[in-house]
Amino acid sequence: MDQLKMIGRELAMGSQGGFGQSKEFLDLIKSIGETRSKAEEDRIVLREIETLKTRLGNPNTPKFKLKEYLVRLLYVEMLGHDASFGYIYAVKMTHDENLLFKRTGYLAVTLFLNEDHDLIILIVNTIQKDLRSDNYLVVCAALNAACRLINEETIPAVLPQVVELLGHHKEAVRKKAVMALYRFHQRAPGSVSHLVSNFRKRLCDNDPGVMGATLCPLFDLITIDVNSYKDLVISFVNILKQVAERRLPRSYDYRHMPAPFIQIKLLKILGLLGNGDKKASEHMYTIVGDIMRKFDSTSNIGNAVLYECICCVSSIHPNPKLLETAADAISKFLKSDSHNLRYLGIDALGRLTKINPEIAEQHQLAVIDCLEDLDDTLKRKTFELLYKMTKSSNVEVIVNCMVDYMININDNHFKTEIASRCVELAEQFAPSNQWFIQTMNKVFEHAGDLVNAKVAHNLMRLIAEGFGEDDNIVDSQLRSSAVESYTRIIGEPILPSAFLQVICWVLGEYGTADGKYSASYISGKLCDVAEALSTDEIVKAYAVTALGKIYSFEIAAGRKVNLLPECESLIEELLASHSTDLQQRAYELRALIGLDAHVVANLMPMDASCEDIEIDKGLSFLDGYIQQAIENGAQPYVSESERLGMSNISNFKSQEQHEFLTHSLRFEAYELPKPSMTPQVPPVLASPTELFPVSVPYYHTEVNYSTTPVPSISSAGSSELQLRLDGVQKKWGHPSYFSPTSSTLNSDAAKIQNGSTKPDSVGSANSEARHVSYDSRKPQVEISPEKQKLAASLFGGASKSDRRQSSSSQKVPKNNSHAAYKSHVEKTATSDTGAQKTSQPPSDLLDLGETTGTSILPSLDPFKQLEGVLDQTQDPTSLNTGGFSGTDAPDIMSLYVDTSLRDQGNSTANLLSTVNDSSSLLSGFSDATNRTGHGGNTVAQLTQKLSEGPNHKDSLEKDATVRQMGVTPSGQNPNLFKDLLG
Amino acid sequence: MIHFVLLISRQGKVRLTKWYSPYSQKERTKVIRELSGMILSRGPKLCNFVEWRGYKVVYKRYASLYFCMCIDQDDNELEVLEIIHHFVEILDRYFGSVCELDLIFNFHKAYYILDEILIAGELQESSKKTVARLIAAQDSLVEQAKEQASTISNMIAQATK
Repeated sequence: MDQLKMIGRELAMGSQGGFGQSKEFLDLIKSIGETRSKAEEDRIVLREIETLKTRLGNPNTPKFKLKEYLVRLLYVEMLGHDASFGYIYAVKMTHDENLLFKRTGYLAVTLFLNEDHDLIILIVNTIQKDLRSDNYLVVCAALNAACRLINEETIPAVLPQVVELLGHHKEAVRKKAVMALYRFHQRAPGSVSHLVSNFRKRLCDNDPGVMGATLCPLFDLITIDVNSYKDLVISFVNILKQVAERRLPRSYDYRHMPAPFIQIKLLKILGLLGNGDKKASEHMYTIVGDIMRKFDSTSNIGNAVLYECICCVSSIHPNPKLLETAADAISKFLKSDSHNLRYLGIDALGRLTKINPEIAEQHQLAVIDCLEDLDDTLKRKTFELLYKMTKSSNVEVIVNCMVDYMININDNHFKTEIASRCVELAEQFAPSNQWFIQTMNKVFEHAGDLVNAKVAHNLMRLIAEGFGEDDNIVDSQLRSSAVESYTRIIGEPILPSAFLQVICWVLGEYGTADGKYSASYISGKLCDVAEALSTDEIVKAYAVTALGKIYSFEIAAGRKVNLLPECESLIEELLASHSTDLQQRAYELRALIGLDAHVVANLMPMDASCEDIEIDKGLSFLDGYIQQAIENGAQPYVSESERLGMSNISNFKSQEQHEFLTHSLRFEAYELPKPSMTPQVPPVLASPTELFPVSVPYYHTEVNYSTTPVPSISSAGSSELQLRLDGVQKKWGHPSYFSPTSSTLNSDAAKIQNGSTKPDSVGSANSEARHVSYDSRKPQVEISPEKQKLAASLFGGASKSDRRQSSSSQKVPKNNSHAAYKSHVEKTATSDTGAQKTSQPPSDLLDLGETTGTSILPSLDPFKQLEGVLDQTQDPTSLNTGGFSGTDAPDIMSLYVDTSLRDQGNSTANLLSTVNDSSSLLSGFSDATNRTGHGGNTVAQLTQKLSEGPNHKDSLEKDATVRQMGVTPSGQNPNLFKDLLG
Repeated sequence: MIHFVLLISRQGKVRLTKWYSPYSQKERTKVIRELSGMILSRGPKLCNFVEWRGYKVVYKRYASLYFCMCIDQDDNELEVLEIIHHFVEILDRYFGSVCELDLIFNFHKAYYILDEILIAGELQESSKKTVARLIAAQDSLVEQAKEQASTISNMIAQATK
C-alpha cells in the first residue's frame, strides 16, 4: 500500500509544475547554474551521479521517476561526465510499451550510444518490432533511432522493414525511411546497393518533404558515379523549375524564397551532373540563369542560393553569359560590408578563377583588403584563393605572405596545411634556387616537424644536384650560400628535427668545400648538434656521418686530422650506444680516420652524392676466388632452375609432373610461384631485386659505406634510378612540372635560365610597382601605395612569367593579352606596342570618366582594371543599400539585448523577440512582406499564423510559474540568471 | 553533412549537444572545449564561420546562446546559417518566445524538435508547418499517456484513502 501511495504521489508530481519536472531536477539545474567554479560544478554533478546510481539501480523505482532520472542522466553527460552506468536503463526503457517512456528511452540511447557500442545489439530487436507498429509516431521514433544506431552488422536485421516503410501512407515516415536508407548506404554501401533504385522512385513522391529528403542520398550517389544518373538531368531541371516557379506549398517558403533549401540541394546535384558534360549543362543554363536573375539579395538565404548558383556555374560546362552574371554577383559579395558575404565572395572567386583567371584581377584590391582583415577566417580563405591563383610571376609575393602568416599561427592543423602549400608552390613555381632554399629554410625553421619528410629530401637533392652539369660556379655558389645560412641557423636553440637533418647533411657534404670554413669549425658545430639533441637518434646519425665525411675529405686532401676533444667524446659515447645504427656509424667513422689518404679518397669521394653507384650484380670480383675453390675440388654452383631439372616453362602442370617424376621428398618450404613461373622479368616494379641495375637502398648503403643517409633520393641520374624516384612526383622547378616528358637535361637548362634571369625580373617588378603607385596616386588618394604595390605584384606581372618561360623554351601560357602591356618595363623587350603604350597610360589613368569604355576593351589592362575597381569602390552606397535589410533578425536581437538590460525585473529572458510582443520577430517579417509589395493575402496569412503562435498571456503565465518555483532572478537566486540578462 | 550541433552559453556552458558522427566522450569534451574557446572569443562583426580541423563550424549568437553546427569543407555556409535560424524559429514557435531557460529545463524537448529537423546530419524537413504538426502530434500522444497515468493515480489515491 505504501508503495502505491508513493506511485500516486510521484505521478501527481510528474504532472505538476510548469516545466514538467520535479522540484529535485529543477534544484539540480539551479544549483549547477549558481556554481562559480568548475570544481564546484563537478562536486554537484558527482553527487548527482551517486544519487542516480542508487535510484536507477533500485528495482522499485516507478517508471515515471525513471524517465526523469534518465533525463537527469542526459544532463549529467551533457556536462561532460561519464554516465555509462545508466546506459542499460535507457536501453530498457526503449522496450516499454508506453510511447511516452519509449520516446525518452530512444532519445537517451541515441544521445548516449555510438553505433559501435555493445548495447546496440539489445536495441535492434525493439527497433525491429517498433518499425512494424501501427502508430506512425512509434515508427518515426524507431527510424530516428535506426539512423543513429544501426551499424554495418545490424543493417540486415532492419533493412526489409525500412524498405517496406518507403511506401508508408504517412509522409513523415516515408521521409525518415529514405533518410535511414541513406544512412545505411553511408555506413555500408554494399549492403544496400541493390536498393538504390528506390531513391529514384521516391524522387517522384507527392510530398515535397520526401522529395527533398531523397535529394541527400541522390547527391551522394551521383558524387560516386555520375554517369549512371545522367538520365535524371531533365527531371532535376524540371523540379528546380517548378520550385522556382513556386509550385510547392507555401509552407516550404522561407523568407519569401520558394523552398530555398531544396533549391540549394538541386543546384549542388546539377553542378555535379553538368561537370564536363556540355549536353547536360545546356539543359541547365536557362533555369540557373533565371534563378540568378530573380534572387533576393536582401536575405541571407537569397545569397546562399546565389552562392550555390555560382558554384554550379563554375562547375558545369562554362557558359559565357552565366559566367558574367556570376562575376557580377561575386563583385557584389566582395563589396559587401558583411564578412560572411565577403568570405563567400572569396570562395566563389577561387572557383571562377579556375575557368577565367582574369576575374581575380578585377577584384585585386578587395582581395587584399580581405587578406589584411582582422578576421582570421577571412584571411585563411583568402590564402586559399591566393594558393589557387599562384603563377610563376607572383609566387614570391604569395609564398612570402603565406610564410609570414604561418610563423604567427599556432593551430597545428592549419599550420601543416599552409606549410605544405608553401612547399608545393615553391617546388612548382620557384623563380630561382636561391629563393627556393631560403623559403624552404623558413618553412623548415617554423614548421619543420609538420611537413612531409620527402620535402627535406627534395631540398637535399636540389642542393646536391644544383643546376646541372655545366655550370659548376653557380652550383658552388648555391652550396656555399646554403652552408653559410646553415652555419648561422644552427646556433638557434630549437630547430625541428627534419631541418637539422638537412643542415647536417649539407654541412657534411659541402661544409668545407669552398674553403671558407675550417674542418674543425664545421665539425665543432656538428658535435654541438649531436650533443644538444641527445634523444634524437636520427639527427645524431646524420651528424656522425657528416663528421665522417668532413674528416675523410680532410684526409683525402692530405691534411692532418686532429679530432676535436668533443668529437672524441661523442664517438666514445656512441660506440657504446644502444642503437646499433649509431654504433655502426661510430665504428665506421673511427675506422675511416685510421685509413690513408688514397683509400679514403676512394671510399668517400668528394661531392659524389649524385654519382651513380654501379652494383656488380654478377659479383665478378669473386670470380678468382670461385675459380680457386673449384680447383680445390669444390662443386660448381648449380642454378636453382637447373637444380629442379627444368627449363623456364612456367607451367603448373609440368611442375607437378616433375615433382611426381622425381619422387623425392622436399623439406624446404614451397617457394612462391611467381619467380619460377614467369620466365621474364616482370615489367612492373614487383620486386626490386628483379630489376637489374636498380640500386636498392640497402645494397646501396653497404657498398657506399653509408656515405649518404638518404642515398635513394640524392642519387639521381640514370633512367632506371629515376624510375625509383617516381614517388617524388613533383620535380623541382616549374618547367619540368608542366612538361613531364622533357628530358632532365632540358629542364636543367631551363633552370639555369630561370636563375640567371631572376635579378632582372626582380628589378622589373620593383619598377612596375613604383609605376603603379605613381600613376594612380592622383585619381585615387585613399588607397595606400603599399596595397597597390602588393596588388600589382600579386595580380599583374604576368609578363615576367611569360618571358621567362619562353626563354626557357617551355609552353607559353595563354594569358598573353594583358601581358603585352607590361613588357615595356623590361629591358629586353623593345617591341613597338610596348613603346606605344608607355606613352599612353598616364592620360588614360587620369581620365576617370572613361572607365566604362575601358572595361569593355578586349585586352585587359591591369591598370585599367585597377582603376575600374577603385571607381566602383568610391561609390559604395549603391551597392550596400540592400545588403543589410536582410539581417533584420540580428538587429532585432541586439535591440533586444538593450531592452532586457533595461528591464531586469522581467524574469524570462527572451531569446528571439525584442519588445513586449512575443512574436515581434515574426511581425518583422510581415513588415518585410509589406515592403516587398506582396498582396494583402500574404500579410493576412502571416498575421493569422502569428495569432496561432504564443501570445503575451502565455509568457506571463510562464513567468508566474517561474516565480512559483522559486527560480526568479529578482528573487533569491540572482546568479543563475546573470548570464541570461547580462 | 552536419557532424554535430552544439549549443553553448556565453559562459561556455553546454546547453545541448547532438552528434551525428561518432565521437567518444573524451573527444566530445575536447571538441567542446576547443570550440567554445574559439567561438566565444570572436568579435561581433566577424564571419559566422570558423575553420577547424579541416571542417567548418558555422555559429550564430542569439542573446546569450551560441548555436554552432560543424559541417564539411564543401558545404554551403550560408545555408547552414539559415538552418540554424530555421531551428531557432521553430523553437520559438514551440516554446513561445523561447529563452535560454526553456532550453535549460526542457532540453529533451529541444532534442525532439531537433530530431524532426535534422536527421543523419542532413536537413530533413524545411517546412516549419510540417515540423510543428509532427511535434504537436507527439505531444498530444504524451498528453494522452499522462491523462491515463493521472486517472490511474486518482484510482490509486481513491483506493488508498
